[in-house]
Amino acid sequence: MRWLQILTASLLPFTALAAKKPSGDRFNDFRAKSLSTGTVKLDDVSYSKFTKAPRDYAVAVLLTAMDTRFGCVLCREFQPEWDLLGKSWVKGDKNADTRLLFGTLDFIDGKSTFQSLMLQTAPIILYFHPTIGPNARVDTQPIRFDFTNGPQSAEQIHAWISRQLPADVPKPAVSRPINYVKIVSVTTGVLGVITFLAVASPYLVPVLQNRNIWAAISLIAVLLFTSGHMFNHIRKTPYVAGDGKGGISYFAGGFSNQFGLESQIVAAIYGVLSFATISLAFKVPRIADARAQQFAVFLWSGVLLCMYSFLLSVFRQKNGGYTFWLPPF
Amino acid sequence: MAVAESESVFTPATSRNTRGMLRVIILALIAAAAVSSRLFSVIRFESIIHEFDPWFNFRATKYLVQNGFYSFWDWFDDRTWHPLGRVTGGTLYPGLMVTSGVIYHALRFLTLPVDIRNICVLLAPGFSGLTALATYLLTSEMVTSPSAGLLAAAFMGITPGYISRSVAGSYDNEAIAIFLLVFTFFLWIKAVKNGSMFWGALTALFYGYMVSAWGGYVFITNLLPLHAFVLICMGRYSARLYVSYTSWYALGTLASMQIPFVGFLPIRSSEHMSSLGVFGLIQLVAFVDYVRAQLPSKQFQTLLRAIVLFVFVVAFGGLVLLTVSGVIAPWTGRFYSLWDTGYAKIHIPIIASVSEHQPTAWPAFFFDLSMMIWLFPAGVYMCFKRLTDEQVFIVIYAVLASYFAGVMVRLMLTLTPIVCVASAMAFSQILDTYLDTKTPKVDSKETGSSDAAKVAAAAVLPDGLRSTRKPVVGIYSYASKLTVVGASAVYLLLFVLHCTWVTSNAYSSPSVVLASRLPDGSQHIIDDYREAYYWLRQNTPDNAKIMSWWDYGYQIGGMADRPTLVDNNTWNNTHIATVGKAMSSREEVSYPIMRQHEVDYVLVVFGGLLGYSGDDINKFLWMVRIAEGIWPEEVKERNFFTPRGEYRVDEEATPTMKNSLMYKMSYYNYNSLFPAGQAQDRVRGARLPAQGPELSTIEEAFTSENWIIRIYKVKDLDNFGRDHQSATSFEKGHKKKRTAKRKGPRVLRVD
Repeated sequence: MRWLQILTASLLPFTALAAKKPSGDRFNDFRAKSLSTGTVKLDDVSYSKFTKAPRDYAVAVLLTAMDTRFGCVLCREFQPEWDLLGKSWVKGDKNADTRLLFGTLDFIDGKSTFQSLMLQTAPIILYFHPTIGPNARVDTQPIRFDFTNGPQSAEQIHAWISRQLPADVPKPAVSRPINYVKIVSVTTGVLGVITFLAVASPYLVPVLQNRNIWAAISLIAVLLFTSGHMFNHIRKTPYVAGDGKGGISYFAGGFSNQFGLESQIVAAIYGVLSFATISLAFKVPRIADARAQQFAVFLWSGVLLCMYSFLLSVFRQKNGGYTFWLPPF
Repeated sequence: MAVAESESVFTPATSRNTRGMLRVIILALIAAAAVSSRLFSVIRFESIIHEFDPWFNFRATKYLVQNGFYSFWDWFDDRTWHPLGRVTGGTLYPGLMVTSGVIYHALRFLTLPVDIRNICVLLAPGFSGLTALATYLLTSEMVTSPSAGLLAAAFMGITPGYISRSVAGSYDNEAIAIFLLVFTFFLWIKAVKNGSMFWGALTALFYGYMVSAWGGYVFITNLLPLHAFVLICMGRYSARLYVSYTSWYALGTLASMQIPFVGFLPIRSSEHMSSLGVFGLIQLVAFVDYVRAQLPSKQFQTLLRAIVLFVFVVAFGGLVLLTVSGVIAPWTGRFYSLWDTGYAKIHIPIIASVSEHQPTAWPAFFFDLSMMIWLFPAGVYMCFKRLTDEQVFIVIYAVLASYFAGVMVRLMLTLTPIVCVASAMAFSQILDTYLDTKTPKVDSKETGSSDAAKVAAAAVLPDGLRSTRKPVVGIYSYASKLTVVGASAVYLLLFVLHCTWVTSNAYSSPSVVLASRLPDGSQHIIDDYREAYYWLRQNTPDNAKIMSWWDYGYQIGGMADRPTLVDNNTWNNTHIATVGKAMSSREEVSYPIMRQHEVDYVLVVFGGLLGYSGDDINKFLWMVRIAEGIWPEEVKERNFFTPRGEYRVDEEATPTMKNSLMYKMSYYNYNSLFPAGQAQDRVRGARLPAQGPELSTIEEAFTSENWIIRIYKVKDLDNFGRDHQSATSFEKGHKKKRTAKRKGPRVLRVD
């Protein structure tokens, strides 16, 4: 066993070498750190070291606030995309030809950096050009990317960073890992649904062939679409808004503007009006009892009149110049 | 309406004739009402082409009438999209122009020399009369009651949803396309009902006409296959369906491929794949149906079904594969953005920038359809009562079209016909029920079971709607009849008032000529657009290139007859972005761009003096956005907003905004109209900086009466080779700073 000890002892100097390695070049130093995660996790000290002026490499830093206390949804949504970008860049850039490093600075770790940069918002990406070397720029100020257009994908940021780099530098593409869990779960889900359909078809087919259900589905769809549901969906309108006096304003001002609740109220009005029409046209003539029928006619005519009048009054509210009205409202 | 009442007055034979006569008269009156309600703009203003696109159609029609059909077909237009030009003959839907050309020549043949402009102005109202007729025919196929068809025709004739695109002067593709849409649907229903190859071929013929007239033909291309598909899924396959669908598809596809703009799209693009797929499916189903009739074995049937399903799945997979590999073009952006509603805003700002591509808020629905918006669901519900093949069509059409109309304001136009048909069905059902003079016997015990035939009928239809299971009794008292009929009359009257009011107030402005009211109530016409365009026509050389935002390209081409850089055709996004960049950059950047494109004059629309909100400063952000899409490094939308995220034009506007060519051109010399420091922008409600912007590379050439249109001339290169900034400052008497140059000689002397 002696030879083993000798061997270990002789290896010791090498371990020392390996440990000592980081003291060399700053770029290789940080790159080694980023190899596993894609981006370097920074704090105040390492940030200043990372971006110190005579620098022969480019740096892209994401300034973010991940802690739940700050409630930055955008930061949390973007973080996996950023890590993915860093990882695929490092992987595609084996020989470090691009000389670009990715870093992440969380507000928790770098309060003073945030203060010195006078940042009020997060997330923000800063891109530093190298100050020395072949791709150096005179301008030392970092280029700033604000997330003004909402959440960004890794590809979009990749395009932005590629624009900052010189044209001849290789730009490794973003490679999204294959999501095996998703594939398996989707396959299982599809098979499950098919099995369920096969087993449950004796019970489902009567439901599918039921006219009343199809009628209900079509009518609900028509009412939803004609009351401006798609407008809410596309414009992401607020559900309701205050009227400035502590109350709720149900109807938005302006002709081409609406609230979520407003469109539901309108859909309900349309629904009541349609139902009254259907009752008058189909149900009432089938009532065998003369007095019941008389009552039903008056009831539904009254509902129709009141609702239509209310609809007109709401519409007058939306469109100032509209002049038509019906008695009650 | 009135027809139902006259029942007891006549003997059967005369009554049939009289009814037919009455129907013709009523239809003629409806058509007359439809035409006359569209003439507001002609009476108030003059016989003039409206808006933007109609000006191109008008210009193309004039070309067609002057140069004949074949040279129109091969027309290369070098006066638009300078310096690229446009293959106009191959990139337009020629149906509209050919229609008016045919009318023009027919009238000339009858020795009626009518000006082509008047034909163009009155084409849309004329066709709206035909649309009312087509709606009558379509509705009459749906229900037995003859009053429903007349009511639908009347609704269609005056509903603002359709008037909005068919007033006199609105010479656009939709003018004839809606008639063709409704008529094609009528022919299709007729074909499905009769299983006749003749009607199928007629459907294909009018489908071909529709393809030549409007890009919205894709709606038919997908709706008819969907109808056939749903019928097959419901187990309603029949030889009638097979005959009508295959004859329509085969002939219709051939007809549509004759249009150069469409060409091979029907077999190569995703929009058309559903009709091809259903065509294949219906062959399979027909085969299975045939074999089943020959071989009654049960196992064999199961096997056949499995084969059909298998082939369907394989074919669908193949389709997906072909799309992915690129043989079949994927959905074009315009259609794709109907499904993925966020798509256009991110990828194609030029589509998102058009106001008629915005989603529809509920007031717009009520504005365009009035009371029909709540009769419509009742009519759709009524279709479920019997659910014949053609009523299935109504349901599908209703659901799909309401979705599309909700996503895009413009597609309200395709929703309107079905709304008219469905609500007329519901309304006439009410009228027919309550206008019946016969009163049922007041015998409450017996009425339920007395009519054996009705009970039997109810038993035959086991899966009918819950509300219609009991037999119809009728209305007992005159009081109820009077209530409902009276209320209906009031609602109808209100509907007519609403339609007239909307048409007169909202849809009858030519937008080329603006009207305003003076304090004393008299009308004042603002005619700046034509003033400026005629200035260009009379004061500039014939081939002076005009640069403006693309909205005004067609009008400049039509009214000023001058070459433009970009127009409303928007086929080349980069070219539009170039103009956007020139407008949104500093003068030093814009000048080389304008020189490279040989621009002679720049035209901007400015509404600040009059409070006209549709001006270029309000459209400016779209120019910036579109330019940013191509040059993200040079044009940045962020720089046009203040640090607090506001879009301002006053003292606090960003430097980028203040230095942009558009800002300078809009506000140049504007403060000279006001006392010092009082300049006011009435659209944005902002007080402008005391010091107005200065221009060096362009000079003001013309400003219209109300300052709506401002035209600038691009200066030629300086005679002394200076740049324009120093030339201007020299003329102003400023001393040139030449510190750097003085150093040179001194160094030389020391040496």
